[in-house]
Amino acid sequence: MENQSQPIKLQGSIEISYEWSAGVAGSRFFQEIRDNKRIMGTKCPKCGRVLVPPRIFCEECFVDVEEWVEVSSKGELVTFGESYLGTDGSKLKEPWIVGIIRLDGADGGLIHYIGEARPEELKIGMRMEAVFNEKRNGNILDIKHFRPSK
Amino acid sequence: MARRVAIVSVGMDKFASRKVETVDEMVYRVAKNALDNAKLPREAIGAVVFGCAVDAFTATQAAEKVAIGGAGGRLRPTMRNCTSGSTAISTPILGYLHVASGLYDVVMCVCFEKMSECRPHAQHVFNTVYDEYFVRPIGLNVAIQCSLEARMYLRRYGNTELQMAKVSVKNHGNALDNPYAQLGKKLTVEDVMNSPCISWPVKLLDTSPTTDGARAVIFASEDVARDITDDPIWVKGIGRGGDSCWFTGRRNSDLARLDYAYYAAKQAYEMANIEDPSQEIDVAEVYDPFTYKEMQHVEALGLCPEGGAGRMIDEGISLREGKLPVNPSGGLLGEGNPIGAGMSRLCWAYLQIKGQAGGCQVPKDVNTAVCNGWGGMYQYNAVMVIGRD
Ligand SMILES: [Zn+2]
Repeated sequence: MENQSQPIKLQGSIEISYEWSAGVAGSRFFQEIRDNKRIMGTKCPKCGRVLVPPRIFCEECFVDVEEWVEVSSKGELVTFGESYLGTDGSKLKEPWIVGIIRLDGADGGLIHYIGEARPEELKIGMRMEAVFNEKRNGNILDIKHFRPSK
Repeated sequence: MARRVAIVSVGMDKFASRKVETVDEMVYRVAKNALDNAKLPREAIGAVVFGCAVDAFTATQAAEKVAIGGAGGRLRPTMRNCTSGSTAISTPILGYLHVASGLYDVVMCVCFEKMSECRPHAQHVFNTVYDEYFVRPIGLNVAIQCSLEARMYLRRYGNTELQMAKVSVKNHGNALDNPYAQLGKKLTVEDVMNSPCISWPVKLLDTSPTTDGARAVIFASEDVARDITDDPIWVKGIGRGGDSCWFTGRRNSDLARLDYAYYAAKQAYEMANIEDPSQEIDVAEVYDPFTYKEMQHVEALGLCPEGGAGRMIDEGISLREGKLPVNPSGGLLGEGNPIGAGMSRLCWAYLQIKGQAGGCQVPKDVNTAVCNGWGGMYQYNAVMVIGRD
C-alpha cells in the first residue's frame, strides 16, 4: 500500500460517582473526630495492639476487636514526602507535603498533610500534632493537617 | 506432587509510549511471536492466563475480555489475574500452576498494559487506586507515595541518592542494547542528580516511563516440553507475599523493609534448593519502577546483604559485566514500565539463560536466574526462579 492509513483517535470520557460506607469501625472513628475532636483506636484483646486506623478485627490474631480507646492527637513523624507535582500530576510552584504520623498511645497512625512547616524544617522522628478544622463533616479531612508540635 | 514445568518460548514486541495497536492487537503480536518461536500452532494451547494491573488504563472493565482472541484463547479455558504491579510475575506463576497441577500441558501466559490513553496523564488513573477513607481524600500521588518509602529506606540503611542515580545510569544504559526498549539512554550520574525532583529523593530520571506493551510466555509440562524444544528452561521456584493495605497500622509499618518480598523470596529459594542466592543466582531481572525499588529488591532477593544495595552498585557487582548482573536488559527504567507487562523481567531472564539476549547478553555462563514483581500499597511481591537442570 502506498498510503499508510493515519491512526484514528476516538474521544470519550467515563464519569462515575460513588457513595462509600465508612464501615463499622470507620463510622465511629470519623464521628468521634467530627463531634469531639478525639482520635480513637480499637484495642486487640489478644495482642494488645491499639489499632489506628481502627478495625473491628485484628489481622494478626484474627479475633474480634471491640474495645475503643482514645489515643493522642500528638505523635511522631514516621516519614514524609514533599512534591512539586500535584495530585493530578500537574507542576506546582510550591511543594505540598504528606507524612505518616504514629500517634501516642497507638500502634499505628495516619497518613495526612503536613502543614505550617517547610520540608527542610522536617525530620523523621520529630514531634507532631493534629490541627482540626473548625467545620467538620465526618471524614479524614476534619483533621486539617499535622504540624510540628509547638 | 506438582509436575515439573518448563518455559519453552517467550513473545516480545517493542515497548512504546503510545502504540497505535489496541490491547487485542498488542496481545496478538506477542502471543503469535511466542507461538512462532516455539513452532507451535494455536491449537497446541490448552489454556490461557492473562494479567494486567489496572483496568482503568484502557477504560474497558476487565480488560482481559478483549484479549482472548489475540492470545489464542478462543474456545479455551481462560483466567485473568491481578495483583497490582506484581501481576507481572504472579501471572506467570498462575500459568505455572495450571501446568504443575496436571490439568494442562501447554499454557499461554500473556501480560499487557496500555497506559497512554487516559487524559491528560496516567496519574489520573493512579488516583483511583487508593483507599477511599484515609488516602484518596488526601490526594496522594505516585510521586509522594514513593518518597514516603524511599526516604525511610535511605535513612534506615544509609544508602544514598547518588547510589540511586547509579542504578538509573546502569539501567538506562543497558536498555540501549535492548531492541524492545523505549528509553535507552546514555546518562551520567550528574544527569540523574540534576533532573527535576519529583518528590525527594526521587528525581525524574529515577522513575520509569508510562508505556504501552505486552509480553507472552509459553509454559509446558515435562511430558511435552522436550517435543517442543531441545532446551527447555525449568521453573525452579515460585513465591508470593502480600501484606495488609493498612500500611500505617499493620504490624510491619516500616516501609523501609519489604517483609512481604523477603517472604516471597524465601519460598522461591527453598523450592529451588538455593541456599545463598548471592552465589547461586547468575543473573537477576528485578522490578525497578524506581531506582530505589531495584535497591530494595536486590536486598529482599538476597542478592546482597540487607542494606547492601548501595555497595552493590558502587562496586559494579550489578553491572552487565559484573559478578551478579541486575537488569542487564535495562529493567523497567530503561525498557519501559507497562505495569503488568513487567513480565518482561521473566522473558529476559529466560533469554539470558538461553543465550539469546543479544546485545544484553551477560558475558558469563548463565544457568539460574531470578525475577520479581512488586505492587499494591506497599503490599505485594512475586518471585520466580528459573534455570537449566
Ligand atoms: Zn491482635
